[in-house]
Amino acid sequence: MNWIGFKTLTMREITRFFAVYRQTVIPGLITSGLYIIIFGLTLQRRITAIDGVSYTVYILPGLIMMNVITNAYNNTASSILQMKLLQQMQDMLITPMSNVELSLSFIIGGAVRGFINGLLVLLLGIAIVGMPVEHPLTVLLFLLIVSWAFSSAGLILGILAESWDNIATMVNFFITPLIFLGGVFYSINMLPGFWRTVSLANPIYYVINGLRYAVLNVGDTPFFISFSVAFIMTIVFTAIGVGLFHKGYRIKS
Amino acid sequence: MPAAIEIRNLHKSYDDTAALCGIDLTIKPGEFYGLLGPNGAGKTTTIGIITGLVKLESGSVSVFGKDIITDYRFTRSRIGVSPQEFTSDWFFSIEKLLIFQAGYYGIPKKDALPRVEEVMKKLGLYEKREEKIRFLSGGMKRRFMIAKSLVNDPDILILDEPTAGVDVELRRMLWEYLNELHGKGKTILLTTHYIEEAEKLCERVSIINDGRIVTEGGPDELIRSLGKGSIEVRLTGWQERDGRRLDGLSFAYEPGEGDGKLIFSVDDPEKELPHVVELVSRNGCHIHEVKITKSSLEDVFVSLTGRAINE
Repeated sequence: MNWIGFKTLTMREITRFFAVYRQTVIPGLITSGLYIIIFGLTLQRRITAIDGVSYTVYILPGLIMMNVITNAYNNTASSILQMKLLQQMQDMLITPMSNVELSLSFIIGGAVRGFINGLLVLLLGIAIVGMPVEHPLTVLLFLLIVSWAFSSAGLILGILAESWDNIATMVNFFITPLIFLGGVFYSINMLPGFWRTVSLANPIYYVINGLRYAVLNVGDTPFFISFSVAFIMTIVFTAIGVGLFHKGYRIKS
Repeated sequence: MPAAIEIRNLHKSYDDTAALCGIDLTIKPGEFYGLLGPNGAGKTTTIGIITGLVKLESGSVSVFGKDIITDYRFTRSRIGVSPQEFTSDWFFSIEKLLIFQAGYYGIPKKDALPRVEEVMKKLGLYEKREEKIRFLSGGMKRRFMIAKSLVNDPDILILDEPTAGVDVELRRMLWEYLNELHGKGKTILLTTHYIEEAEKLCERVSIINDGRIVTEGGPDELIRSLGKGSIEVRLTGWQERDGRRLDGLSFAYEPGEGDGKLIFSVDDPEKELPHVVELVSRNGCHIHEVKITKSSLEDVFVSLTGRAINE
């Protein structure tokens, strides 16, 4: 194991997004703050509490997950594509680092960005609306697992993508709709039967539901099911991402 | 001691197009070796396979006796590469990027710092160390690419078109530096479009065309064995003998443009000059003017590949 190489690339990935924190950290906080103010504080008066929790607090775990998913995913996908387009990937591939070390470094970089963004929105929720945190350790573990899972998904797309348009298409047509339909702003019990069943096929629903349980101790589905779905996604996405990288798919000729 | 780089029967295809068709190459430790070929001949693919950028299809490549696939950590740690295309980066200064590059090779930051500083000073990059690559001139970018290939203190330096697009002054500076590195025992593998560069720097060269090595040898040796030359002389006493042939010559000659001019076609003009002088004198003529023309490595290249190197 080339530990120094592994540590160097991981730190490079982390410092890369911190170097542009105005693009990678601050926007999530601003957007979440706006959601809390507009959706929560204004609509809260017209919407009754869900599962005994005020509407503003109810949507916060969903907002946290929205930030975790988009940041983790975007970090790895854009880093890989940028490296391919700017000829930086060749600098990586000629080094005495294994493909597993390289791909895990990219995943960790994205996972850290997702985790930090999630944590900051969590702290924002605590600060603005006094959100309680019922199971703090479970929250941290769950944030970490989901960050890793979607950072790995970003690795897969970064490898497959050949242009920025590919990444934007995936985000706009799949990830964002799945997040919004995953119950960020509502409980799926509020949906008609058919749409409730459809929501159960959306993996992001389990991710949001799991965090809602960890933070608020409420949820539409038992926590172990949400945790299992998140864990399986982590394993599957990591295996596919590392496998594609190892194969050199669209990376090596 | 095993060869620095040993390539055996290397094959590579892209879709149905063969890029390499059985390349064999041995580069000795400490050798300055040139790989010459027109665009698309297979130079960059060969380098890509040695360094791990391109997947090997069949054949084998070893570096100091170790296989590039099974012992990739060893082989890659011994090699420094300066690719033809510029790398770019939007986020970090060139100093930071060089420290990162050393890190990927397992060199901790505290050990990398003096090495990076030394290489930047040597290549005239030190004043620009805080700059980002995209703000550098083409020449500075090329210096950075070479600096990057040196931060891991490699035994083998692979340079793909290291002087492409640089001005004459920088080219001379880089040649001097490469000679210095070679003098310190580094093995250097160079591809270039400048035949003059290969003639000046390389101890041995291979000419590669359509994925095959066409010939290999020292530049002088190739010119001697494959090149052509001529000796042009202006004679007195020749016009009187017009219509007759000079006796006793083993090579062809023909009249040149102008009175009393003859052109002798020879393989090695310098070696044959005394014979020409002697035989011309023996035939009762006197030489007034001599002009020697020798093939260059470029002429050899064109005669072997049928193409100019820049094509």
